[in-house]
Amino acid sequence: MEADELLVLVAAGDQKAFEDLYGLVSGPVFGLVRRVVRDPAQSEEVAQEVLLELWRSAARYDPGRGTALAWVLTLAHRRAVDRVRSARAAGERELRMARRANGPAFDQVAEEVEAGLEREWVRRCLDRLTALQRQSVTLAYYDGYTYREVAERLSLPLGTVKTRMRDGLTRLRDCLGGVA
Amino acid sequence: MTGFFRRGDLHSLAAPYALDALEPPEHKRFEKHLKRCDSCPAEVRALREDAVRLAWSTAAPAPAALRDRVLTAVRTTPQEPAPVRPEPLPRARPERSPSRGRRSPFAPFLIPLASTTAAAALVVAALFGVQASRAQDELAQERAQAREIAHVLAAPDARSTAGRDAEGQGIAVVASASRRAAVVTGSGLGTPAGERVHQLWLMRPEGKPRSLGLLAGDTPLVATGLGTNAISLAVTIEPAGGSPQPTTAPVVQLALKSVGFGE
Repeated sequence: MEADELLVLVAAGDQKAFEDLYGLVSGPVFGLVRRVVRDPAQSEEVAQEVLLELWRSAARYDPGRGTALAWVLTLAHRRAVDRVRSARAAGERELRMARRANGPAFDQVAEEVEAGLEREWVRRCLDRLTALQRQSVTLAYYDGYTYREVAERLSLPLGTVKTRMRDGLTRLRDCLGGVA
Repeated sequence: MTGFFRRGDLHSLAAPYALDALEPPEHKRFEKHLKRCDSCPAEVRALREDAVRLAWSTAAPAPAALRDRVLTAVRTTPQEPAPVRPEPLPRARPERSPSRGRRSPFAPFLIPLASTTAAAALVVAALFGVQASRAQDELAQERAQAREIAHVLAAPDARSTAGRDAEGQGIAVVASASRRAAVVTGSGLGTPAGERVHQLWLMRPEGKPRSLGLLAGDTPLVATGLGTNAISLAVTIEPAGGSPQPTTAPVVQLALKSVGFGE
Protein backbone atom coordinates (compact mmCIF):
# COMPACT_ATOMS: atom_id res chain seq x y z
CA MET A 1 0.00 0.00 0.00
CA GLU A 2 1.17 3.51 -0.73
CA ALA A 3 1.87 6.22 1.80
CA ASP A 4 -1.22 8.26 0.99
CA GLU A 5 -3.55 5.29 1.38
CA LEU A 6 -1.82 4.37 4.61
CA LEU A 7 -2.23 7.88 5.97
CA VAL A 8 -5.98 7.63 5.52
CA LEU A 9 -6.02 4.42 7.56
CA VAL A 10 -3.70 5.92 10.14
CA ALA A 11 -6.05 8.88 10.50
CA ALA A 12 -8.73 6.35 11.41
CA GLY A 13 -6.53 4.94 14.17
CA ASP A 14 -5.12 1.90 12.37
CA GLN A 15 -1.88 1.02 14.17
CA LYS A 16 -0.91 -1.67 11.71
CA ALA A 17 -1.15 0.87 8.91
CA PHE A 18 1.06 3.16 10.95
CA GLU A 19 3.70 0.44 11.18
CA ASP A 20 3.64 0.14 7.41
CA LEU A 21 3.79 3.88 7.03
CA TYR A 22 6.71 3.95 9.43
CA GLY A 23 8.51 1.48 7.19
CA LEU A 24 7.99 3.73 4.19
CA VAL A 25 8.84 7.12 5.66
CA SER A 26 11.15 6.62 8.62
CA GLY A 27 14.28 6.46 6.45
CA PRO A 28 13.55 9.65 4.52
CA VAL A 29 12.40 11.45 7.68
CA PHE A 30 15.39 10.41 9.77
CA GLY A 31 17.87 11.10 6.98
CA LEU A 32 16.48 14.57 6.36
CA VAL A 33 16.32 15.51 10.03
CA ARG A 34 19.86 14.34 10.62
CA ARG A 35 21.03 16.23 7.56
CA VAL A 36 19.65 19.47 8.98
CA VAL A 37 20.09 18.96 12.72
CA ARG A 38 23.46 17.12 12.58
CA ASP A 39 23.62 16.17 16.21
CA PRO A 40 22.74 12.45 16.37
CA ALA A 41 20.87 12.52 19.67
CA GLN A 42 18.87 15.61 18.76
CA SER A 43 18.16 14.21 15.32
CA GLU A 44 16.66 11.11 16.82
CA GLU A 45 14.57 13.24 19.13
CA VAL A 46 13.24 15.42 16.33
CA ALA A 47 12.62 12.42 14.06
CA GLN A 48 10.66 10.81 16.86
CA GLU A 49 8.55 13.94 17.31
CA VAL A 50 7.86 14.07 13.60
CA LEU A 51 6.90 10.41 13.34
CA LEU A 52 4.60 10.69 16.32
CA GLU A 53 3.11 13.82 14.85
CA LEU A 54 2.25 11.80 11.76
CA TRP A 55 0.26 9.50 13.96
CA ARG A 56 -1.45 12.32 15.81
CA SER A 57 -2.24 14.55 12.90
CA ALA A 58 -2.68 12.14 10.01
CA ALA A 59 -6.19 13.51 9.57
CA ARG A 60 -4.69 16.77 8.40
CA TYR A 61 -3.18 15.22 5.32
CA ASP A 62 -5.12 16.29 2.27
CA PRO A 63 -4.33 14.21 -0.82
CA GLY A 64 -5.63 17.01 -3.01
CA ARG A 65 -2.76 19.20 -1.95
CA GLY A 66 0.17 17.00 -2.71
CA THR A 67 1.74 13.64 -2.27
CA ALA A 68 1.91 12.01 1.13
CA LEU A 69 5.68 11.87 1.01
CA ALA A 70 5.87 15.59 0.29
CA TRP A 71 3.56 16.27 3.21
CA VAL A 72 5.60 14.10 5.55
CA LEU A 73 8.94 15.53 4.47
CA THR A 74 7.68 19.09 4.57
CA LEU A 75 6.64 18.51 8.15
CA ALA A 76 9.97 16.87 9.00
CA HIS A 77 11.92 19.69 7.41
CA ARG A 78 9.95 22.35 9.24
CA ARG A 79 10.57 20.65 12.57
CA ALA A 80 14.25 20.11 11.88
CA VAL A 81 14.71 23.74 10.88
CA ASP A 82 12.84 24.92 13.98
CA ARG A 83 15.23 22.88 16.07
CA VAL A 84 18.45 24.21 14.56
CA ARG A 85 17.17 27.75 14.65
CA SER A 86 16.23 27.66 18.28
CA ALA A 87 19.52 25.98 19.07
CA ARG A 88 21.35 28.73 17.23
CA ALA A 89 19.29 31.45 18.83
CA ALA A 90 19.93 30.07 22.28
CA GLY A 91 23.60 29.87 21.48
CA GLU A 92 23.23 26.43 22.91
CA ARG A 93 25.78 25.07 20.57
CA GLU A 94 27.68 26.73 17.86
CA LEU A 95 26.99 24.97 14.64
CA ARG A 96 29.95 24.89 12.45
CA MET A 97 29.38 28.23 10.80
CA ALA A 98 32.29 28.01 8.51
CA ARG A 99 30.84 25.21 6.51
CA ARG A 100 32.50 25.29 3.20
CA ALA A 101 30.76 28.01 1.32
CA ASN A 102 31.81 26.60 -2.00
CA GLY A 103 30.97 22.96 -2.06
CA PRO A 104 27.58 21.40 -1.97
CA ALA A 105 26.87 20.64 1.63
CA PHE A 106 25.98 17.01 1.48
CA ASP A 107 29.31 15.28 1.91
CA GLN A 108 29.24 14.42 5.56
CA VAL A 109 26.36 12.05 5.57
CA ALA A 110 26.93 10.77 2.11
CA GLU A 111 28.59 7.49 2.93
CA GLU A 112 25.89 6.40 5.29
CA VAL A 113 23.02 7.31 3.12
CA GLU A 114 21.19 4.68 1.21
CA ALA A 115 19.24 6.61 -1.34
CA GLY A 116 21.66 5.33 -3.94
CA LEU A 117 20.98 6.44 -7.46
CA GLU A 118 18.59 9.15 -6.45
CA ARG A 119 21.22 10.74 -4.27
CA GLU A 120 23.77 10.47 -7.01
CA TRP A 121 21.35 12.11 -9.36
CA VAL A 122 20.50 14.95 -7.01
CA ARG A 123 24.21 15.50 -6.45
CA ARG A 124 24.80 15.70 -10.15
CA CYS A 125 21.97 18.10 -10.63
CA LEU A 126 23.18 20.29 -7.77
CA ASP A 127 26.54 20.35 -9.48
CA ARG A 128 24.91 21.79 -12.55
CA LEU A 129 23.61 24.83 -10.70
CA THR A 130 25.71 27.94 -10.50
CA ALA A 131 27.67 28.20 -7.26
CA LEU A 132 25.37 30.91 -5.93
CA GLN A 133 22.22 29.00 -6.80
CA ARG A 134 23.57 25.90 -5.13
CA GLN A 135 24.72 27.69 -2.02
CA SER A 136 21.48 29.61 -1.68
CA VAL A 137 19.44 26.43 -1.91
CA THR A 138 21.61 24.19 0.24
CA LEU A 139 22.36 26.73 2.98
CA ALA A 140 18.63 27.20 3.38
CA TYR A 141 17.41 23.67 2.93
CA TYR A 142 20.17 21.52 4.34
CA ASP A 143 21.54 23.94 6.91
CA GLY A 144 18.33 25.65 7.97
CA TYR A 145 19.42 29.25 7.42
CA THR A 146 16.80 31.87 6.65
CA TYR A 147 17.23 33.67 3.37
CA ARG A 148 18.38 36.74 5.28
CA GLU A 149 21.11 34.72 6.90
CA VAL A 150 21.99 33.20 3.55
CA ALA A 151 22.26 36.71 2.11
CA GLU A 152 24.58 37.75 4.93
CA ARG A 153 26.73 34.68 4.62
CA LEU A 154 27.09 35.08 0.90
CA SER A 155 27.28 38.90 1.05
CA LEU A 156 24.47 39.22 -1.46
CA PRO A 157 21.45 41.51 -1.56
CA LEU A 158 18.23 39.89 -0.33
CA GLY A 159 16.61 40.13 -3.74
CA THR A 160 19.47 38.27 -5.34
CA VAL A 161 19.21 35.43 -2.86
CA LYS A 162 15.48 35.05 -3.46
CA THR A 163 16.10 34.89 -7.17
CA ARG A 164 18.95 32.41 -6.81
CA MET A 165 16.77 30.19 -4.68
CA ARG A 166 14.00 30.21 -7.20
CA ASP A 167 16.30 29.70 -10.17
CA GLY A 168 18.17 26.99 -8.32
CA LEU A 169 15.02 25.04 -7.51
CA THR A 170 13.66 25.44 -11.01
CA ARG A 171 16.87 24.31 -12.57
CA LEU A 172 17.03 21.39 -10.22
CA ARG A 173 13.55 20.43 -11.32
CA ASP A 174 14.53 20.52 -14.97
CA CYS A 175 17.62 18.48 -14.32
CA LEU A 176 15.83 15.92 -12.20
CA GLY A 177 13.26 15.53 -14.94
CA GLY A 178 10.31 16.63 -12.87
CA VAL A 179 8.39 17.66 -15.94
CA ALA A 180 6.28 20.62 -15.03
CA MET B 1 12.41 43.29 10.53
CA THR B 2 9.97 42.55 7.78
CA GLY B 3 8.98 46.08 6.82
CA PHE B 4 6.37 46.72 4.25
CA PHE B 5 6.07 44.31 1.39
CA ARG B 6 4.46 45.18 -1.83
CA ARG B 7 2.63 42.40 -3.52
CA GLY B 8 5.42 41.72 -5.98
CA ASP B 9 7.92 41.49 -3.15
CA LEU B 10 5.74 39.08 -1.29
CA HIS B 11 5.39 36.99 -4.36
CA SER B 12 9.13 36.63 -4.66
CA LEU B 13 9.14 34.92 -1.28
CA ALA B 14 7.69 31.74 -2.76
CA ALA B 15 11.07 30.07 -3.13
CA PRO B 16 12.37 30.92 0.37
CA TYR B 17 8.98 29.85 1.70
CA ALA B 18 9.25 26.49 -0.05
CA LEU B 19 12.69 26.06 1.50
CA ASP B 20 11.38 27.01 4.98
CA ALA B 21 13.76 29.95 4.87
CA LEU B 22 11.45 32.73 6.02
CA GLU B 23 11.46 34.24 9.47
CA PRO B 24 8.20 33.86 11.38
CA PRO B 25 6.71 37.32 10.59
CA GLU B 26 7.43 36.95 6.88
CA HIS B 27 6.19 33.42 6.96
CA LYS B 28 2.87 34.66 8.29
CA ARG B 29 2.65 37.45 5.77
CA PHE B 30 3.38 35.11 2.95
CA GLU B 31 0.75 32.62 4.06
CA LYS B 32 -1.74 35.47 4.16
CA HIS B 33 -0.69 36.43 0.67
CA LEU B 34 -1.13 32.81 -0.45
CA LYS B 35 -4.80 32.98 0.39
CA ARG B 36 -5.37 35.92 -1.93
CA CYS B 37 -3.09 34.86 -4.74
CA ASP B 38 -4.50 32.48 -7.29
CA SER B 39 -1.30 31.44 -8.97
CA CYS B 40 0.72 31.05 -5.78
CA PRO B 41 -0.45 27.75 -4.32
CA ALA B 42 0.37 25.82 -7.46
CA GLU B 43 3.73 27.52 -7.68
CA VAL B 44 4.56 26.96 -4.04
CA ARG B 45 3.54 23.39 -4.33
CA ALA B 46 5.81 22.86 -7.32
CA LEU B 47 8.73 24.50 -5.52
CA ARG B 48 8.05 22.44 -2.42
CA GLU B 49 8.15 19.28 -4.40
CA ASP B 50 11.51 20.31 -5.80
CA ALA B 51 12.69 20.81 -2.25
CA VAL B 52 11.38 17.37 -1.34
CA ARG B 53 13.65 15.88 -3.94
CA LEU B 54 16.52 17.32 -1.95
CA ALA B 55 15.08 15.70 1.14
CA TRP B 56 14.59 12.36 -0.43
CA SER B 57 18.18 12.10 -1.44
CA THR B 58 19.25 12.24 2.21
CA ALA B 59 17.30 9.15 3.30
CA ALA B 60 19.14 7.02 5.84
CA PRO B 61 17.98 4.04 7.87
CA ALA B 62 16.50 5.11 11.18
CA PRO B 63 17.87 3.47 14.34
CA ALA B 64 15.95 0.36 15.39
CA ALA B 65 15.41 1.80 18.87
CA LEU B 66 13.55 4.72 17.34
CA ARG B 67 11.06 2.35 15.76
CA ASP B 68 10.40 0.66 19.08
CA ARG B 69 9.92 3.94 20.85
CA VAL B 70 7.61 5.39 18.24
CA LEU B 71 5.48 2.28 17.86
CA THR B 72 5.19 1.96 21.61
CA ALA B 73 4.22 5.60 22.00
CA VAL B 74 1.60 5.28 19.29
CA ARG B 75 -0.30 2.73 21.34
CA THR B 76 -1.02 5.29 24.00
CA THR B 77 -1.01 8.55 22.03
CA PRO B 78 -4.41 9.99 21.20
CA GLN B 79 -5.03 11.32 17.72
CA GLU B 80 -6.34 14.70 16.69
CA PRO B 81 -9.68 14.79 14.98
CA ALA B 82 -9.79 16.05 11.42
CA PRO B 83 -9.13 19.79 11.46
CA VAL B 84 -12.02 22.18 11.50
CA ARG B 85 -9.97 24.84 9.80
CA PRO B 86 -6.82 24.35 7.81
CA GLU B 87 -3.54 24.59 9.67
CA PRO B 88 -0.83 26.65 8.06
CA LEU B 89 1.59 23.75 8.32
CA PRO B 90 2.01 21.84 6.20
CA ARG B 91 -1.12 22.67 4.26
CA ALA B 92 -1.53 26.35 3.81
CA ARG B 93 -5.12 26.36 2.65
CA PRO B 94 -7.53 24.35 0.61
CA GLU B 95 -6.40 24.39 -2.95
CA ARG B 96 -8.43 26.27 -5.45
CA SER B 97 -6.15 26.37 -8.41
CA PRO B 98 -5.47 23.30 -10.51
CA SER B 99 -3.31 20.87 -8.63
CA ARG B 100 -0.37 18.94 -9.91
CA GLY B 101 -1.61 15.80 -8.25
CA ARG B 102 -2.67 12.69 -10.05
CA ARG B 103 -5.74 12.24 -7.91
CA SER B 104 -7.72 15.19 -9.11
CA PRO B 105 -9.77 14.59 -12.21
CA PHE B 106 -9.02 18.19 -13.14
CA ALA B 107 -5.28 17.91 -12.92
CA PRO B 108 -3.66 19.59 -15.91
CA PHE B 109 -1.53 16.55 -16.57
CA LEU B 110 -4.52 14.37 -17.27
CA ILE B 111 -4.12 14.86 -20.95
CA PRO B 112 -6.04 12.47 -23.15
CA LEU B 113 -3.68 10.32 -25.11
CA ALA B 114 -5.00 11.70 -28.39
CA SER B 115 -3.45 15.03 -27.53
CA THR B 116 -0.18 13.79 -26.17
CA THR B 117 2.60 14.50 -28.50
CA ALA B 118 6.08 13.44 -29.32
CA ALA B 119 6.61 10.72 -26.77
CA ALA B 120 3.54 8.72 -27.72
CA ALA B 121 4.26 9.15 -31.39
CA LEU B 122 7.78 8.02 -30.84
CA VAL B 123 6.72 4.89 -29.02
CA VAL B 124 4.11 4.02 -31.60
CA ALA B 125 6.47 4.66 -34.48
CA ALA B 126 9.16 2.54 -32.90
CA LEU B 127 6.68 -0.21 -32.26
CA PHE B 128 5.52 -0.45 -35.84
CA GLY B 129 9.01 -0.08 -37.16
CA VAL B 130 9.93 -3.09 -35.11
CA GLN B 131 6.91 -5.05 -36.21
CA ALA B 132 7.62 -4.50 -39.87
CA SER B 133 11.18 -5.65 -39.72
CA ARG B 134 10.77 -8.90 -37.87
CA ALA B 135 10.64 -12.38 -39.30
CA GLN B 136 7.41 -14.30 -39.14
CA ASP B 137 8.28 -16.60 -36.24
CA GLU B 138 9.28 -13.73 -34.05
CA LEU B 139 5.97 -12.11 -34.64
CA ALA B 140 4.04 -14.15 -32.12
CA GLN B 141 6.28 -12.87 -29.39
CA GLU B 142 6.16 -9.37 -30.78
CA ARG B 143 2.40 -9.57 -30.92
CA ALA B 144 2.23 -10.49 -27.27
CA GLN B 145 4.31 -7.44 -26.50
CA ALA B 146 2.22 -5.37 -28.88
CA ARG B 147 -0.87 -6.39 -26.96
CA GLU B 148 0.74 -5.29 -23.74
CA ILE B 149 1.72 -2.02 -25.34
CA ALA B 150 -1.75 -1.50 -26.76
CA HIS B 151 -3.15 -2.23 -23.33
CA VAL B 152 -1.11 0.62 -21.87
CA LEU B 153 -1.81 3.01 -24.74
CA ALA B 154 -5.53 2.35 -24.55
CA ALA B 155 -5.78 3.05 -20.84
CA PRO B 156 -8.00 6.06 -20.15
CA ASP B 157 -5.27 7.57 -17.99
CA ALA B 158 -2.39 6.90 -20.39
CA ARG B 159 -0.06 9.85 -20.44
CA SER B 160 3.29 10.49 -21.94
CA THR B 161 6.48 12.19 -20.97
CA ALA B 162 9.98 12.32 -22.31
CA GLY B 163 13.31 13.58 -21.14
CA ARG B 164 16.51 14.22 -22.96
CA ASP B 165 19.81 15.58 -21.75
CA ALA B 166 22.08 18.07 -23.47
CA GLU B 167 23.74 15.28 -25.43
CA GLY B 168 20.42 14.13 -26.82
CA GLN B 169 20.25 10.97 -24.73
CA GLY B 170 16.82 10.32 -23.38
CA ILE B 171 13.83 8.10 -22.88
CA ALA B 172 10.21 8.48 -23.86
CA VAL B 173 7.47 7.00 -21.74
CA VAL B 174 3.78 6.33 -22.13
CA ALA B 175 2.42 5.19 -18.80
CA SER B 176 -0.84 4.30 -17.17
CA ALA B 177 -1.05 4.43 -13.40
CA SER B 178 -4.28 2.41 -13.44
CA ARG B 179 -2.64 -0.39 -15.45
CA ARG B 180 0.54 -0.01 -13.40
CA ALA B 181 2.49 -0.19 -16.61
CA ALA B 182 4.65 1.91 -18.88
CA VAL B 183 6.04 1.64 -22.37
CA VAL B 184 9.59 2.95 -22.47
CA THR B 185 11.67 3.76 -25.51
CA GLY B 186 15.25 4.91 -25.53
CA SER B 187 16.28 7.67 -27.89
CA GLY B 188 19.75 8.77 -28.81
CA LEU B 189 21.27 6.38 -26.31
CA GLY B 190 23.49 4.76 -28.90
CA THR B 191 25.25 1.52 -28.11
CA PRO B 192 27.59 1.42 -25.12
CA ALA B 193 31.19 0.55 -25.88
CA GLY B 194 32.42 -2.99 -25.35
CA GLU B 195 30.04 -5.70 -24.28
CA ARG B 196 27.99 -3.35 -22.21
CA VAL B 197 24.27 -2.69 -22.33
CA HIS B 198 21.71 -0.09 -21.32
CA GLN B 199 19.62 -1.26 -18.40
CA LEU B 200 16.40 0.37 -17.29
CA TRP B 201 15.61 0.76 -13.59
CA LEU B 202 12.60 1.70 -11.57
CA MET B 203 13.41 4.05 -8.70
CA ARG B 204 11.25 3.94 -5.59
CA PRO B 205 11.38 6.00 -2.40
CA GLU B 206 12.13 2.96 -0.30
CA GLY B 207 13.96 -0.10 -1.43
CA LYS B 208 16.45 -0.80 -4.11
CA PRO B 209 16.11 0.06 -7.77
CA ARG B 210 14.25 -2.64 -9.64
CA SER B 211 15.49 -3.77 -13.03
CA LEU B 212 12.90 -3.36 -15.76
CA GLY B 213 15.06 -4.98 -18.41
CA LEU B 214 17.55 -4.01 -21.06
CA LEU B 215 16.96 -1.23 -23.52
CA ALA B 216 18.19 -2.04 -27.00
CA GLY B 217 18.09 0.57 -29.73
CA ASP B 218 14.65 2.06 -30.06
CA THR B 219 12.76 -1.15 -29.28
CA PRO B 220 10.02 -0.35 -26.78
CA LEU B 221 10.20 -2.03 -23.43
CA VAL B 222 7.04 -2.74 -21.46
CA ALA B 223 7.45 -2.26 -17.73
CA THR B 224 4.69 -3.79 -15.65
CA GLY B 225 3.80 -4.00 -11.99
CA LEU B 226 4.66 -0.37 -11.33
CA GLY B 227 3.41 0.84 -7.96
CA THR B 228 2.17 4.38 -7.63
CA ASN B 229 5.31 4.95 -5.59
CA ALA B 230 7.38 4.68 -8.76
CA ILE B 231 9.38 7.89 -8.58
CA SER B 232 11.45 7.78 -11.69
CA LEU B 233 13.08 5.68 -14.34
CA ALA B 234 16.82 5.58 -14.75
CA VAL B 235 19.11 4.12 -17.40
CA THR B 236 22.57 2.91 -16.50
CA ILE B 237 25.31 1.21 -18.48
CA GLU B 238 25.91 -2.31 -17.23
CA PRO B 239 27.96 -5.35 -18.24
CA ALA B 240 26.47 -7.67 -20.88
CA GLY B 241 23.32 -9.33 -19.63
CA GLY B 242 22.64 -6.59 -17.10
CA SER B 243 23.24 -6.38 -13.35
CA PRO B 244 21.06 -7.25 -10.36
CA GLN B 245 21.64 -3.71 -9.05
CA PRO B 246 22.97 -0.65 -10.85
CA THR B 247 26.74 -0.43 -10.83
CA THR B 248 27.11 2.95 -12.51
CA ALA B 249 25.53 6.39 -12.23
CA PRO B 250 22.53 6.89 -14.48
CA VAL B 251 23.03 8.31 -17.92
CA VAL B 252 19.38 9.29 -18.07
CA GLN B 253 16.72 9.72 -15.43
CA LEU B 254 13.10 10.65 -15.92
CA ALA B 255 10.54 11.48 -13.23
CA LEU B 256 7.19 9.75 -13.49
CA LYS B 257 5.18 12.33 -11.63
CA SER B 258 3.67 13.89 -14.73
CA VAL B 259 2.39 10.52 -15.89
CA GLY B 260 0.57 9.75 -12.68
CA PHE B 261 3.18 8.11 -10.49
CA GLY B 262 5.56 9.43 -7.92
CA GLU B 263 4.12 8.75 -4.55
